[in-house]
Amino acid sequence: MITLAHVSKRYPGGYEALKDVSLDIANGEMVFVTGHSGAGKSTLIKLIAAIERPTGGTITVNRQAIGKLRRGAVPYLRRNIGLIFQDHKLLFDRNVIQNVLLPLHIAGFNRHDAAARARAALDKVGLLQREKAHPVTLSGGEQQRLCIARAIVSRPSLLLADEPTGNLDSEYASEIMVMFKAFNQAGTTVVISTHDHSAIAAGNTRIIRLDHGSLQT
Amino acid sequence: MKAWLTHHRQALISSFAQLLKTPFASLFTLLAIGVSLSLPAGLYLLLQNMTQIVGALPAQTEITVFMQNDAGAGDISAFKSRLAHIAGIRDSRFVSRNTALAALSLQMGIPDLASELPENPLPDAWVIVPSTAEPATLKQLAASLRTLPKVALVQSDEQWAQRLQALLALGRYMFTLLACILAVALISISGNTIRLQILTRFDEIEVSRLIGATSGYIRRPFLYFGALQGMLGGLVAWLAVTIATMQLEPYIHSLTQLYASPFRLRTLSIEEIMILLLGASAIGWVGAYLAVGRTLAQIEKSP
Ligand SMILES: Nc1ncnc2c1ncn2[C@@H]1O[C@H](COP(=O)(O)OP(=O)(O)OP(=O)(O)O)[C@@H](O)[C@H]1O
Ligand SMILES: [Mg+2]
Repeated sequence: MITLAHVSKRYPGGYEALKDVSLDIANGEMVFVTGHSGAGKSTLIKLIAAIERPTGGTITVNRQAIGKLRRGAVPYLRRNIGLIFQDHKLLFDRNVIQNVLLPLHIAGFNRHDAAARARAALDKVGLLQREKAHPVTLSGGEQQRLCIARAIVSRPSLLLADEPTGNLDSEYASEIMVMFKAFNQAGTTVVISTHDHSAIAAGNTRIIRLDHGSLQT
Repeated sequence: MKAWLTHHRQALISSFAQLLKTPFASLFTLLAIGVSLSLPAGLYLLLQNMTQIVGALPAQTEITVFMQNDAGAGDISAFKSRLAHIAGIRDSRFVSRNTALAALSLQMGIPDLASELPENPLPDAWVIVPSTAEPATLKQLAASLRTLPKVALVQSDEQWAQRLQALLALGRYMFTLLACILAVALISISGNTIRLQILTRFDEIEVSRLIGATSGYIRRPFLYFGALQGMLGGLVAWLAVTIATMQLEPYIHSLTQLYASPFRLRTLSIEEIMILLLGASAIGWVGAYLAVGRTLAQIEKSP
């Protein structure tokens, strides 16, 4: 599913956020990416989603080389990736269900199918009762779940989550981890970046450790 | 295909919604666009009416046809019957060489000029009043007069008409210039309102981009908005021009009655209205396209 070969990323300022990283994530696998703050976790996720381009090496996602992707092809790659951001990136000028409908509108679903899918996604994250609510009125955990609903609504084969439990207390956090496990069981490849060790210790999931941009083995 | 249609319908609906969201700002923008557009539209209408007036004006141009010296009475009447078959002649009048000489002697104050001269040096002549002052038609008329038998010389005074035409041509040139300048101004008005809209919807654009929206999807609502805004501005311009002509109508009416002229003030035709509206939406579209293009490039740079 995802292959990195000697990938490095140097930001315009000159800082090298990733150094010679090589790894493989199989289809249907679930992995954690951990490391200290600034280790390069978000950078790795952004490279996989083609939000940033590598400055060295090659990344292949779904058999597509990210470095060589045309600009026009990026949207179609992204439609197959569910993205969960460190800072939610919810739209506060619309209600809960409209946030979830956005990816479906972009993909061109008709109104009826889109509404059904959006409800199903909200149901999965336990927010169906709040579909008409506004994101500002949701708690931090609920906002994060809304973000997850938006990421899974178009049934992507790859789910990328950047610190999904970053600012949640551990009860909410484990609830969300359970959700990711369920998606993974349903066949979705899941990559989660986190520095929450309790979440990782719980399972026997594969862990990728980053340290100052290098892979730790 | 269906998705494409859905996208376009959504974009159109959202454009209307955006306009209504800020009714006062929208109204002022529409007025600004409308007033700017009404200037070239009004000038155009003025020119069209002027051209019509010039065409309908009694031609003050006269064409003088001098006959050859050996033309007899038979040739004169033959000329007269040929003249009847030539189009574009309002009036014609024969001035015989004797009449001409009498007039000349009167002018020069020599009563017995005719008896002083061994023979009348003046030729017979026709004074022809064409039905139009249009130079091309005049030229043609003069040319066909020249081909008639026993004609020595055809003299037409086209200067007056030429000057008027030159003035109209200048007017048309100014119209084109004004239209171009205002098109550029309108592109920037449209671009500016779109830019403001983009700023308020920046989050939406960024998120859409991150979850797989194509540039086309992001551009579309703004392009629709620009085109819609331009078209409504065009509508305002049309209204303004129509009201202005309606205000002028009574004055023109009393004026044309004085001259017993059949002239009627002309308003914009359906085709011209369509051109105005389509042109205005095209300009709005271009402004929006430029504005969105720049913003998209910015987003690409700073994800
Ligand atoms: N757009 C950017 N321009 C320049 N430097 C950047 C940019 N984004 C990240 N960096 C730098 O790259 C390094 C890695 O950043 P990254 O966001 O990947 O870390 P992280 O592991 O996600 O950290 P955190 O746990 O705090 O989110 C940091 O030192 C950061 O300052
Ligand atoms: Mg991060």
